[in-house]
Amino acid sequence: MSDFEFEARRARLEPLLESARSLGDGATERGRLARERLIASSGLSAQGVDFALQRCLEIAPDEREIAALIRSTPQAQVAHVLLSANVFVAAHRAIAIALAASGQVRVRASRREPEMAELLLAGAPGSFQLVKELSPHSGDRVWAYGSDQTMDEIAVTLPAGVALHAHGSGFGVAVLDGPHSDRELSELLTALAEDITLFDQRGCLSPRVILVNAPPAFAAELARELARELAELEQRIPRGQLTVPELSEISKYRDTAQFTGEVFEAGLGFVTLGQTSGWLLPPSGRNVHVLVTPDVIETLTPYRPLLTSCAFAGAPARREQLRRALPGARVCAFGEMQRPPFDGPVDRREL
Amino acid sequence: MTPNTRSDDLHAAVRRFAAGDRTRSFADLALEIAVFQRELSPGFARLCAGRRASLTSVDHIPGVPSDAFRLARVALHPPTEDRLRFYTSGTTSGARGLHAMRVTETYHELALHFGRAALLSNQRPHHVVALAPLLDEPPTSSLGHMMAMFMVDFAKRGAFEVRTPERWLIDDRGLNVAGLERAAAQAAQRDETLLVLATSFALVGLLDALAGRALPLPAGAVVMQTGGFKGKTREIEPGELRTSVAQAFGIEEPQIVSEYGMTELTSQLYEATVPGSALARERQGAPGVYAEPPWLRVVPVDPVNLEPVPNEEVGIARIVDLGNVDSAVAIQTQDRVRRVEGGIMLLGRAAGAPPRGCSLAIEEFMAGGAR
Repeated sequence: MSDFEFEARRARLEPLLESARSLGDGATERGRLARERLIASSGLSAQGVDFALQRCLEIAPDEREIAALIRSTPQAQVAHVLLSANVFVAAHRAIAIALAASGQVRVRASRREPEMAELLLAGAPGSFQLVKELSPHSGDRVWAYGSDQTMDEIAVTLPAGVALHAHGSGFGVAVLDGPHSDRELSELLTALAEDITLFDQRGCLSPRVILVNAPPAFAAELARELARELAELEQRIPRGQLTVPELSEISKYRDTAQFTGEVFEAGLGFVTLGQTSGWLLPPSGRNVHVLVTPDVIETLTPYRPLLTSCAFAGAPARREQLRRALPGARVCAFGEMQRPPFDGPVDRREL
Repeated sequence: MTPNTRSDDLHAAVRRFAAGDRTRSFADLALEIAVFQRELSPGFARLCAGRRASLTSVDHIPGVPSDAFRLARVALHPPTEDRLRFYTSGTTSGARGLHAMRVTETYHELALHFGRAALLSNQRPHHVVALAPLLDEPPTSSLGHMMAMFMVDFAKRGAFEVRTPERWLIDDRGLNVAGLERAAAQAAQRDETLLVLATSFALVGLLDALAGRALPLPAGAVVMQTGGFKGKTREIEPGELRTSVAQAFGIEEPQIVSEYGMTELTSQLYEATVPGSALARERQGAPGVYAEPPWLRVVPVDPVNLEPVPNEEVGIARIVDLGNVDSAVAIQTQDRVRRVEGGIMLLGRAAGAPPRGCSLAIEEFMAGGAR
């Protein structure tokens, strides 16, 4: 990529970044409006929306990250974006990637959550187009975000010659390895509670399972402590509205966990501890399952295609092993799961 | 009294109940089994404690979620005492649920008792074939095992080898349509009633294979269909499938009867439609309404608080099955049901929470569950 082309792409991003910056601050008119509209559309609590905007909206990405995003994005005649619902900050990165690919960007927002794309466009008028339906042609590229089912449906309807970058369903895990002091552990769990609380776990980066290489008694103490952290955080950031099917999934999960292990109430959610090696994937809504395993990598291997994010606390050499074993997942520190570097799609499974 | 002695006593009491002895009520037996299970199963004890269940009312016995069978052993006895092991289909991790049985007599008696009542339209011997793969040995599929039992029992000629390709009409090459035609001819020749046991997706496969051609079955033939589609074939709405199968076989729609069962259960439910059957005489059921055997009760419960819903309201099915003496007497399913005149109307599986955004849905993660 020539310097000229790089600069042209970089210039296309700037209005969007500026628009995002103006949404991050709740004291400004745009920031206030964003919160008002996102509370209504996302189902998150007011505090949940503010927390997500404060913590996860990339308002000041590092120039090296932006350069990586630009250099890793293929060019397109027209870049089309299909956005998913609820993890509303994701619209910013998705549109940025499309702008890096093309000067012509068409975005179809989620019908359930159209607000963020509209808010970004209002702060960067003309930088992209909001459309009701995508109609790509040969030579175009489509970046699509959503469930696997949506990705499958799109894949079979695209015209020939259109490249699809599909980012489907996934989930995150956290791995606690090796010894940690009480203070370190407390800080790790505080950070992890924030990862779990953000977006009420509706995103593909949210941790749903914690793997612990430690004696069962330690895991039980950890589960209890994490439940306390989550309950405390819920006092400041209440959980949002859940649907009946979501609440039903939680009831089923709680009773399954009760039968097969231990359950710790964590505000409105639950931390569960497995007594068997079987995986119990908790539903979203601030629920997390703790699993004891002597071999983290072996335990994770069957789920590799589903893993988008892995928080790790332990020795650097073990972290490197994990990174090699999970090339599609972003391996990061506790508390950083929901704000990966602004260097491309958060989901790296296609790379 | 040892646990096995207590279990044996309970099994015997359940079998007596199934045979018509009402000296002990359904509720008494269900609660006694639940208390027995709470004493011997730490998992069920935790579930009861978590739900603050006192086990004084059948409607409030906590249901063990069917997922638990995949994650833990749901049995009061050690694996060394297993006499039958039935497995559910697999999941992302390859894990399969296990329903282990220490006493087989109860399963056999209960399945045969209600199967005869629901499926046999007359006293003649029945020629039974299955649109299913050859039963494995030892059997790992509860459905396959039940089919094999019916083949022997309904023929009324004592024990014989049922593991033959003439009885199991799906093989590596697919559906054996010619085999079904031969079975129909054989039944007619011997003046036996033909009973075809099939999964819904096998019937769809058969319709596809026939491609509009008819395959007339002898008069009085009965088709038992069970199960969903699980993505194995195109899906057809149940009423449409029933009509299409009746047309293809040249039989009346009431001769096609649906069965509802799960690996995690010992007992089955049936539609009470087969003309001449004991169940139809007793209950006069409509298509889509599943009759419970006297030793099983479906309790529709609220999907969130899991409390029983008022009569005739839609809930998810908690199934209290007295046959599950050594596993879980109450199973919590995700099947939506409503109590109606004559039984339970099945309204399909409760959709898991639809994925919002890119969060992985439980439904996508858990590919298994039902038999």
